[in-house]
Amino acid sequence: MSRVPEPATAPGGPAVVNAPSVLLPFRFILTGVVAFVIGLVLLALRPDILASYHYNQYVIAATHLFVLGWITTVIMGAMYQLVPVALETKLYSERMARWQFVFHLVGFVGMVWMFWTWNMKQVAHFGSALAVGVLLFVYNLSRTLLRVEKWSVVATAVASSLLWLGLAVTAGLLITAGKCSYESAETLAPSSFWGVVIHGLSNVATLAARFDQIGAMHAHAHLGAVGFFLMMLVGISYKLIPMFTLSELQNVWRARFSLICLNCGLAGGFFAILIRSPLKLGFTFLILGGIILYGFELNAILKARRRKTLDWGVKGFLSGVTALVPVSALAMILSCPNLPLNSFTGQLENLYGFLGLLGVISFAMVGMLHKIVPFLVWFATYSPHIGRSKVPALSDLYSIRLQVVCHWSYVTGLVVCSAGILLSHHLTVRLGAVTLLFSAFALIANLLLMLRHRLSPRISALPEPAKRPGNQAALIPQLSLSK
Amino acid sequence: MTSALTEERILEVLQEVIDPEIDCNIVDLGLIYAVAIEGAKVTVSMTLTTRGCPMHESIAYGVRMALLNLPEVEEVEVHVVWDPPWHPSMMTDEGRRRTGAW
Repeated sequence: MSRVPEPATAPGGPAVVNAPSVLLPFRFILTGVVAFVIGLVLLALRPDILASYHYNQYVIAATHLFVLGWITTVIMGAMYQLVPVALETKLYSERMARWQFVFHLVGFVGMVWMFWTWNMKQVAHFGSALAVGVLLFVYNLSRTLLRVEKWSVVATAVASSLLWLGLAVTAGLLITAGKCSYESAETLAPSSFWGVVIHGLSNVATLAARFDQIGAMHAHAHLGAVGFFLMMLVGISYKLIPMFTLSELQNVWRARFSLICLNCGLAGGFFAILIRSPLKLGFTFLILGGIILYGFELNAILKARRRKTLDWGVKGFLSGVTALVPVSALAMILSCPNLPLNSFTGQLENLYGFLGLLGVISFAMVGMLHKIVPFLVWFATYSPHIGRSKVPALSDLYSIRLQVVCHWSYVTGLVVCSAGILLSHHLTVRLGAVTLLFSAFALIANLLLMLRHRLSPRISALPEPAKRPGNQAALIPQLSLSK
Repeated sequence: MTSALTEERILEVLQEVIDPEIDCNIVDLGLIYAVAIEGAKVTVSMTLTTRGCPMHESIAYGVRMALLNLPEVEEVEVHVVWDPPWHPSMMTDEGRRRTGAW
């Protein structure tokens, strides 16, 4: 009889269960997808948001709808699921995560609505609700990270992204405070509680108003987009791509340096953008260095993979990553000192934001949703039946044909929209947005196919085990189990 | 009529437990490292294709359930181990065919 080695993770039995309830990520993901569709409908109805360059209330409302409603919501839900599992620990508090969802939902819906009507005082109120949620999220995941026994490059990326998320929200609140008026400061006694709060906010507003407002908005946007989104994308890649392609991280130091470059470039870039320093270009180079290192590592991981065929979920993720090439080129152009501030530069800024958010991050997310949601549905539906009944594989839960339609229509929508933005052509932007919407509906159709398994699971009796010819014991790998 | 409890029979039964992400059974994937039979108790030592695999709990549970289905088995212990780490060379030819691994 073969000798049984000692368990490496949990002596005396199987390793511990780490995943939270699947309902937790589900509520975030489904909310995010609804926000995604509303955002694309908005772009189709109001192509001027992308086709013309004005920092108006509609641009800011639409940006926050995509950024907070779609991207941040889905990433938060996915992180609650993935971080504990990937880092082999337990989520600190599932209850706190449920409360965070409420604050987040109220906060981002109210913010987008109030941006649209340009009521900055209410933006500040709803923004504060969102910030409470972000505080709970950062605290919850930070406590989860503190439980990690084996620190890794993925844990570093998650910790970094949490830091940048917290700072992005703080910067956003400061900018909003600077745009509010504080009439009640005249009537409230400075020594009363509300007097202290309102006078304090008024002082913060005076300080915030000293900075160039466009520079402050760009700096805030970069903390969120590069700090939270890109950092998370990079960190997640170092775990999920090896996992899905049967590969492994090839060079830990290269991965670490990519994070160091991103973090240093982001910290310096924030201040350079804020004060409109020509050093911005240097810090952009540093971030670009991080992206290049990341690209080399990802390429090495893929070259070492043992699964020959990449599924469309991974292809979608990698397509998003590929969009980093034009986005990085645009970042270099826009970081050049003395760039003329004309309408074409403005359109390049629009294209940069569009491709960064809907090209890189959203495309990668659409790909990963085809991996994460089937897993969640499968886990909730078929996990109790595995080994007792015949259960489907993850890829049986949805239509690959629909996924391919979703993928290519997304690529087409991105290209058409980008052309429309560059040409400032409303109809082309609208056409691109409608194509993206079509892609989103293909995604939703597939999500519904997945969710259908919750209502009517496909479970059948196990067939009699097939007797194979030859020595069955040879199916156990010949291992050297000495420890 | 029931068959005798042998390692071969255990492996036949475990071929019904799949890794749903890869769509291949855990025996052909080479995840089963060892099987020990002591009377009505079976101890399985196995691994997963990667640490921090989201299917960890499900697959280990599936192994337990599949073996407890056998009338001769009363107790199952599943040990998930990481040493030695899994490698594609541990797959059977059928596993390599199903996963497209080279």
